[in-house]
Amino acid sequence: MKTIEALAPDQASLSAASKLTRQSNWPRLEKNEQLALIWGECQGSGSSPYRVVVDTGDHGYKCTCPSRKFPCKHTLALMWIAATAPASFTAAGSTPEWVNDWLGRRRKTTSQPAAPAPGVAGKSIGEASREEESTVVEDAAAIERREAAQRKRAEDTRSSVSAALDELDQWISDQLRLGLAGFVDNSSDRCRRIAARLVDMKATALAGRIDEIPSRLMGLRNEERPDAAIRELGKLVLLAKAWRSTPDDAELRRLVSTSESREQVLANPEAIQVESVWEVLGEKIETRRDGLVSHSTWLLDLNSAAPQFALLLDYFPASAGRRSNAFTSGDRFDARLVFYPARQPLRALVVERKGDVSSAQWPDFGFDVADPLAAHVAHQDTAPWLTDSPVMLPPGAILLDDRGDAWWQSADDPHGIALPIADAVSPTLLGLDLAATAALWSGSRLHLLAAQSGFGRLDLS
Amino acid sequence: MNEIEQTGLATMRDCWITGGTSFDLAPAAWKDIAAGANPDERERRLLAIAAQALEIALRPAAPKTLKRRPPLPELALPMLPERLRPLLRAALKQAADARSKSRVVAVVASRGFVLHPMDWMPAASDQTSPDVYAPWIDWQAGVDGEKHTSREQLTSQNWDEFYPAARRTALADMRRTAPAVARQLIETRGSTEPAEVRLALIALMHFGLGPDDVPFLKSLSTDRSGKVRELAGRLLARLGQHGQPGDGGPEDPISELAAFIAEGKSGFIRRRTTYTPAKLKSPAQERRRAELFETCNLVDLAARFGVTESDFIGAWQFGADNNVDILVARMVAASGSDAAVTHMADTLVAEGGKPALFVLHLMPRLDSRRQRVLIRVILKDTQYLGALSLAEGVEAGWLDWADLTNGKTLPALRTAVAGNDDAVKRGVDQLLETLGFLATAEAAEKLIGDVVAAGMAPAAPSLALLRLNASLAGP
Repeated sequence: MKTIEALAPDQASLSAASKLTRQSNWPRLEKNEQLALIWGECQGSGSSPYRVVVDTGDHGYKCTCPSRKFPCKHTLALMWIAATAPASFTAAGSTPEWVNDWLGRRRKTTSQPAAPAPGVAGKSIGEASREEESTVVEDAAAIERREAAQRKRAEDTRSSVSAALDELDQWISDQLRLGLAGFVDNSSDRCRRIAARLVDMKATALAGRIDEIPSRLMGLRNEERPDAAIRELGKLVLLAKAWRSTPDDAELRRLVSTSESREQVLANPEAIQVESVWEVLGEKIETRRDGLVSHSTWLLDLNSAAPQFALLLDYFPASAGRRSNAFTSGDRFDARLVFYPARQPLRALVVERKGDVSSAQWPDFGFDVADPLAAHVAHQDTAPWLTDSPVMLPPGAILLDDRGDAWWQSADDPHGIALPIADAVSPTLLGLDLAATAALWSGSRLHLLAAQSGFGRLDLS
Repeated sequence: MNEIEQTGLATMRDCWITGGTSFDLAPAAWKDIAAGANPDERERRLLAIAAQALEIALRPAAPKTLKRRPPLPELALPMLPERLRPLLRAALKQAADARSKSRVVAVVASRGFVLHPMDWMPAASDQTSPDVYAPWIDWQAGVDGEKHTSREQLTSQNWDEFYPAARRTALADMRRTAPAVARQLIETRGSTEPAEVRLALIALMHFGLGPDDVPFLKSLSTDRSGKVRELAGRLLARLGQHGQPGDGGPEDPISELAAFIAEGKSGFIRRRTTYTPAKLKSPAQERRRAELFETCNLVDLAARFGVTESDFIGAWQFGADNNVDILVARMVAASGSDAAVTHMADTLVAEGGKPALFVLHLMPRLDSRRQRVLIRVILKDTQYLGALSLAEGVEAGWLDWADLTNGKTLPALRTAVAGNDDAVKRGVDQLLETLGFLATAEAAEKLIGDVVAAGMAPAAPSLALLRLNASLAGP
């Protein structure tokens, strides 16, 4: 049920779905356990029922209704019935054609082993081999043409991105010459202009990052903004230099131009796969200036001796409404994750989710009390262009300064380092001792995700 | 980063803020890295070094004074298990107002658990949550955190060491076990407290109220707070003590109220006295009568008619005017003796039907046995189910499945759930919330099954409290 609530785009969809869970609305409810599929037909207001199919393995779904909300109420209702009344589904040996169509479209890009063409076995060896030969010849030519086109496109992109980075360099030099005071005051316009140029020149990811600089600066106090501007622009210089030295590096290409697809990551032999028990620490949902919503879900590896994190990142248009990737804070599950290749692998995909695990305390991580940001420093050593790092903080507490702003401070070193917290905190949190706190460090602020305390787990994101 | 680099970084930063080249200001080691390139590239290299220096070598400067709140006290009951917190949050989300939320809290407390502080915290002014939360209420109140709640017995000496909620809880307990000691404490220490606190302390006197309290309550007739004087008068009235003797003239409130009541006779053989609301000429008169019912005491009114409290209640003609009946019920609840309250409750419950509903106003004064009887009567009859949500001061989690099946409640619920009337469905939602508060875990589970079978969506938000209730085993 938690998954359904998390998937629902809003409360209205959930309420609408709850009204559709009556059996009378569903003339057809079927399932195929081997394929982890459930499907059904929901009688709506029209003459023909809406067809809904859900993959229970990864919560993929499709409905024929015209709703602009994803998932729609019919999909939620189907999941709901599966969760509360699984006996309502009839086991089906084969899947209907419309379900097959969806499966085909959905998985056509995955690397499936080629199935023998139907009917081949019924032909003579000669006919079959002739056909096969001609197919092979055609395929080889097509492949060569395709690869050539790909190489050409890659070359074009590379030279375009290279030119984009030259423009970026010049733009950074201009900002230094004109003064960072003016940049801070006018960052929105200045960043928007260079971001638009970078998009035109195929440095799309970098453009998105630059577009977010103004909001990152505005989140800080006036006196902190010049330093933050130096950090942001200096990291861009480093990223541009790194890309020029190895433009084919997957991580740098991802940060500058475009990200590889899910299938490419899965097929990449260098992508690290980790099977473990993961806890959902929290999520961060931000609407970006380019109209996309970025949905970050942070996971913690509970079998690792040192804190290891994973980030599930999803983008979708803001106009599509709220979406979720089916995880809620505090969820624990056994799963195999594949990490996007990087110097500090963090972004990941769930390859296989094996089942939920009951909740408990976090493992006892060894903490570096002298510098709670030691992990962040280590990340910066290998990938200095990174902006936010997940950190696990040692025992501490949240305190308030004279302005009422919140700070995290180590319990063992009350006169030592204190880290400012980005958001307002619940007054209750001020009375709790935190045994361990998971947070994101942005270079100037902590964004709290979750903590362990004498009162159990705390959701802080 | 050494001192030279720090100084260099600071001057370069100032230079960049206003605009210009910083190469000449850079530390020597940084210059070496940047040298050999054109001026723009030199500046960019220095910018990259400066960015990394700021990122890893510097830390935010913590203010000199960071204020820490005292640790949140642990409560006497265990925390609700983690796995049940989503259900709890759903029930809290569904609870529309503070009163509904406090019902959720009461259900959880009745099963021996307290809530997670990040899910719910009582307000500093909270006076309705279960006693177990007193340490949190006081923690909320103690912003400066200089005091600590004492777990010792409350005495005159350690009075100041207790926060208000802990003191209130301790005094309430003491009034139940040693009322005289508690009264003495209220008498000696309460007089120095502000009027609002004094009022709350004297309100605690209703626990174990007895004739021994009369002298102290009478002494409050000279209190500087009008509210305290009024409350003391009502407590005295509960003990059968008359308030300020009126002069009997038209300006005397009791006489004025009596004039709004018609005294009559009924019966052919045994003539009985009856009291009914007099027919009034204007809304202004009705408002005045309502005011008088709120300020006058039952014992004085009965005495004005020359009868006992019980005789007055027995002679009152319930049903003639619902609004006035409610006013009478409230007056009895506020100032009637225990005997008068139980007499009225028993009379009305025996009568059944609509008059039984007036007992809802007496609920806070009734023992739990009478409260349960009344709720069962209402459930059995089903005509006024909506009135159940008005009941206050009722215990949580005792209504059995047999109570629900013994009457028309379930069939009525099923019909309403299966129907399409939105107004009726809203009433069902409200009733399910009330039943979620009253039911045992077993009854809650069966009730969910029943309404779902009748067509309600299994995850309907109005089932939230019932689901939480069903998941909580007994204490």
